[in-house]
Amino acid sequence: MINRTSIIKQPDKISFFNDVYKLQKEYQDGLISGKSNMNLIWLGEHQLCYTLGRGSNKSNLLFSSDEHDVYKIDRGGEVTCHMPGQLVTYLVLDLNDYNKDLNWYLRKIEKIIIKVLRSFNIDCAAKHGFTGVWIGERKIASIGIGCKRWVTIHGFSINVNCQLQNFNKIIPCGIEGCLMANLTDYNKNLDVNEVKKIVKKIIQEEFNFNFVSE
Amino acid sequence: MSHEIFMPALSSTMTEGKIVEWLKNPGDKVERGESVLVVESDKADMDVESFQDGYLAAVLMPAGSTAPVGETIGLIVENEDEIAPIQEQNKGKHTEGSSSDQLELPNKNSEIKEEKQNEFPQIKEQVVEVRKEKVLTPSNEIQLNASTSNNSSRVIASPKAKKLASTMGVDLAKVHGSGPHGRIQADDVLKANGQPVSIPWIGEGSSPASIASPSAHVQDESKSETLGTSFGKPGETVQFNTLQKAVNKNMESSLNVPCFRVGYSIDTDKLDNFYKKVKQNGVTMTALLVKAVAKTLKKHPQVNSSFSENGISYPENINIAVAVAMEDGGLITPVLKEPCNTDLFELSREWKDLVKRSRAKQLEPDEYSTGTFTLSNLGMFGVDRFDAILPPGTGAILAIASSKPTVVANNDGSISVKKIMQVNLTADHRVIYGADGASFLKDLSSLIENEPEKLVS
Repeated sequence: MINRTSIIKQPDKISFFNDVYKLQKEYQDGLISGKSNMNLIWLGEHQLCYTLGRGSNKSNLLFSSDEHDVYKIDRGGEVTCHMPGQLVTYLVLDLNDYNKDLNWYLRKIEKIIIKVLRSFNIDCAAKHGFTGVWIGERKIASIGIGCKRWVTIHGFSINVNCQLQNFNKIIPCGIEGCLMANLTDYNKNLDVNEVKKIVKKIIQEEFNFNFVSE
Repeated sequence: MSHEIFMPALSSTMTEGKIVEWLKNPGDKVERGESVLVVESDKADMDVESFQDGYLAAVLMPAGSTAPVGETIGLIVENEDEIAPIQEQNKGKHTEGSSSDQLELPNKNSEIKEEKQNEFPQIKEQVVEVRKEKVLTPSNEIQLNASTSNNSSRVIASPKAKKLASTMGVDLAKVHGSGPHGRIQADDVLKANGQPVSIPWIGEGSSPASIASPSAHVQDESKSETLGTSFGKPGETVQFNTLQKAVNKNMESSLNVPCFRVGYSIDTDKLDNFYKKVKQNGVTMTALLVKAVAKTLKKHPQVNSSFSENGISYPENINIAVAVAMEDGGLITPVLKEPCNTDLFELSREWKDLVKRSRAKQLEPDEYSTGTFTLSNLGMFGVDRFDAILPPGTGAILAIASSKPTVVANNDGSISVKKIMQVNLTADHRVIYGADGASFLKDLSSLIENEPEKLVS
């Protein structure tokens, strides 16, 4: 039977990266081993930290690694940065119940982000060859996915009203000269909670979920 | 008993994947379901697991390399004492496995996928040789699993040949190999399938110019041999091939069209800089020029029009045909449809695909006959200027020459050196008048000179 049930977690306080990473791993292991049939959607914010994909090039980090928290994690893509004011969404999803196709999944996530932004009347687009979502030449959302036996981990982040200068210490996604943007640059009234509601709604529509709170 | 680890397909469109990291070293024990390596496609990573309890005996493709889907990238054995013979056979390959320094291998660009495959032919060939050895030495303890022996026990073939054979349905056992020790090459498979072997030389303009490095753009070595040769020997008369006959007919029909020419000099400094930036993302100069022309045509529908018995015909679409020379004579004009509706990166991808399929002579009629405007680029040969002959059914064709450093007198009386590219429009005067052509060129020039970044979308 196709499982379309997902636990949703959306803490109001800032979460430590490692705690949420462990949580994702638990759900991923549960789905892989068949002990659980619950997908997980997590929406929240992290304290300032930098994460590297497994194939990342360390030269994209422009500081020495003891200066900030740096995590090397099991996702694709290059270095990125998380901080308060940025909405992070993780999806631990069993693609066996959807489409065993990571390209499909990445495009689906881009579509979700674009729908979220369009609901705030912000015009944005995906760029072929540059996974993520862009407003003109500025990057507003970053994507990084890991997958084991078609169960996904990690997800995407949308800059809402965060300190973008934290991105100056890295070459985001390995794209030199990459400019970042906040949603509040385009719509002053937005905050993380407002965006969170819409992300949740559109994820539910796009993946056809039944959300269950714990 | 050895088991192969294959490059998995992470998506339906994926043809090859990049090995990000080997999580196990050769000799390491692996359990069924345990992750052995990580493969990446775009921004998604996938753990590849062992389907077998045993030991990782050999890493055949190192971290950082790219392998076609289905390619054997590692070997797992069931017993510890099988590791040594396997490693012995794979000596000198990449059995060192996943030390972190291998992550530093150059690999970033997905656009160089095709070359990537060729970078490791040695390795793949050796894999095939290894299998052969296994079969020829029955005393060896290592048994082949059934699928392996079916594919390659008696046949020595290059990976490309195998791939071709499987896509074309050619039985490799019946193919005569022309390579060393009778090894079957890709050409042998093509021959066996009755396809022409020669790869047509395609005059794909990768740059408007590049006189600074004269040799850089004169194609690669294999192609340079064909430059300057003719289709026949001195004293011979060679019959036209079908394609040449078709081109002749088209060219002759232009004699009934009252054409005029109008030229323009365009400063390409900004365009060249922009091209340098986007090149690494797979953008081709042809796509940039097509995009610029299409965007300008949108503002000048008259230049996209053509003559018909009933009057001036304005097509519904803007479709840009680009002339491509074929090595065995004749030329073909693959069409980029509605470039205004496609972003630059997608357009470049489409163009590469069209060129590839032109080479293989696999274009559908609507892919070379639906152009509403034609581009002909001889920039890569360093020509100053030329004019093109109008193809039938269209109103205009643009001849693009090389972009060369030129001493320019500026409006304020100063002198500077700029890269200047001459373009020359040939148009049917029955539908396009001098002023139409001139104002089209003025806007095209302004777009290329001032706002090349607008060509992205």
